[in-house]
Amino acid sequence: MQGNLTALLLTTVIVLSVVLVGFIAGRNKASRSSVEEWSVGGRRLGSLFVWFLIGADVYTAYTFLGLTSTAFKGGSIAFFATPYVVLAYPLAYFFLPRIWKVAKVHNFMTLADYVKGRFDSKLLGVLFAINGVLMLIPYVDLQLSGIQDTLKVAGSGYINVTFVVSVSFLLVAFYTFFSGIKAPTYTAIIKDILVWIIMLFLVATLPMIHFGSWGNMMDAMVQKAPQMLTVPTGGPKGLIWFSTAALISALALFMWPHTATGTFSSRSAESLRKNAIVLPFYNIVLMLVTFLGITAYLVDPNGTDPRYAFLMLIHMSYGGVVQGLAYSTIALASLVPCSIMAIGASNLFANNIYRDMINPTVAPAKLTMVTRYMVFVVIGMALLFGLLFPTALVSLQLMGVSGIVQIFPAVVFSLYWRNLSKEATLIGFIAGMFTVFFVYATGKSFGMYEGFIGLVVNIVLMVALNPMFIKNAKMNEVTETLFGK
Amino acid sequence: MSRFFIFLLVLIPFVAQLVALPLVDKIYPFVLGFPLFHFWLFIWMILTPVFTWGVYLIQKSKGELE
Repeated sequence: MQGNLTALLLTTVIVLSVVLVGFIAGRNKASRSSVEEWSVGGRRLGSLFVWFLIGADVYTAYTFLGLTSTAFKGGSIAFFATPYVVLAYPLAYFFLPRIWKVAKVHNFMTLADYVKGRFDSKLLGVLFAINGVLMLIPYVDLQLSGIQDTLKVAGSGYINVTFVVSVSFLLVAFYTFFSGIKAPTYTAIIKDILVWIIMLFLVATLPMIHFGSWGNMMDAMVQKAPQMLTVPTGGPKGLIWFSTAALISALALFMWPHTATGTFSSRSAESLRKNAIVLPFYNIVLMLVTFLGITAYLVDPNGTDPRYAFLMLIHMSYGGVVQGLAYSTIALASLVPCSIMAIGASNLFANNIYRDMINPTVAPAKLTMVTRYMVFVVIGMALLFGLLFPTALVSLQLMGVSGIVQIFPAVVFSLYWRNLSKEATLIGFIAGMFTVFFVYATGKSFGMYEGFIGLVVNIVLMVALNPMFIKNAKMNEVTETLFGK
Repeated sequence: MSRFFIFLLVLIPFVAQLVALPLVDKIYPFVLGFPLFHFWLFIWMILTPVFTWGVYLIQKSKGELE
């Protein structure tokens, strides 16, 4: 396949302009004056910025390419992402303002900071930090492979894709190092405006180009691929998988290091509440794009590799300009989230591993520098694994959501349950992680999403064992903030 | 009483989108150009924020929000 030069040039121009915005975002020196400024914008971001920081996490290259590829292969099972992104918010409505408040009072930067303070346990903090980094780097690599695939379609025959991907990621690392959280905030606004315009344009025009109208396209789906319009009742990818995957992904959304960073940058609890009420609307485009995976199934040539299903559809249907706009949208959906993911992971490294374990008396100025330099470590590791050992990542990528959700009981239950002990929390977490590993290794998931089984084990053990340790549950400053004296 | 309403307003979207799916996992009838299954998911994308907004209004009228 030959790329399209107009599309390639347009993609380059748009991506480079956004990189420039990433640098301009931090022109004010204050944006890197302290960890709090650099990581969470001094906790001063208003509702609209929080909207883009949190809402933008849903629109990544992986969602566009991964969901359409799942729909292309398996049909409607891919729509588990719709209840997932809707149901994440009604729960977040309750716990985000509460954890935001504790974080503000005690100057927490990460969820690992919170559990460390809440349970007086450096061990829990370190374990959660390692878990966060271990699950996040493969997630960054999913974005990396997203931009790789896009450039392969856009630029085959013109560019060395690996080289261009490495340069783009390094540029993102530099502007993140320079501007901190301001970079993903401002670039996310541009990215999301493009996402809405371009994806709605594709959803409106693709059915017309290939079928004449949306209704005709639906008729064609009903006739040629009715099995793709419902979810099987049983089997390994049936309705039970659909519901458990949606639930676990919804619970996991705000456990990611980068969504926590977005939450902590908010100016007020009220702004988080308002965002949590309205954000489900924001995912309408995501659902419509998922349909395009089934469209691709009807339109793409036989034998198309599922991971290219959506890109192939775009490549076949439009001229250079629309292709370029679509590719740059997906490329930005890969690069922009990486920036905030890198900030989230850097904070875990710097606060919970470097400061808590290696150098407890580090001066604030030095910690700020360490946190900022960690961006290069995180993005460097992602590049290294993504480009050199892509196969080693596959299992970690599959496990990402199942692994990260295991901190949910420790983070969320502990906001409401005064007598929750650190021992029961720790045992539940470890048992949950082992269960997830075990279920993945043996493949015995009984039609459920792997993380669901792990979380059930986690919660059951935690609740059952807590009475044994309840006498150890002590009050401290953090529990006083949460529950009063 | 208001606590019970809040509980319902949170519970119903979860039941509708996770538990009730076997009832709507069908192509027909088509609604607004979508198969029933997809229409159901779509309509709850609109209703869920309305339910959460209801929670917000109850909490606010009780003065439970800081």
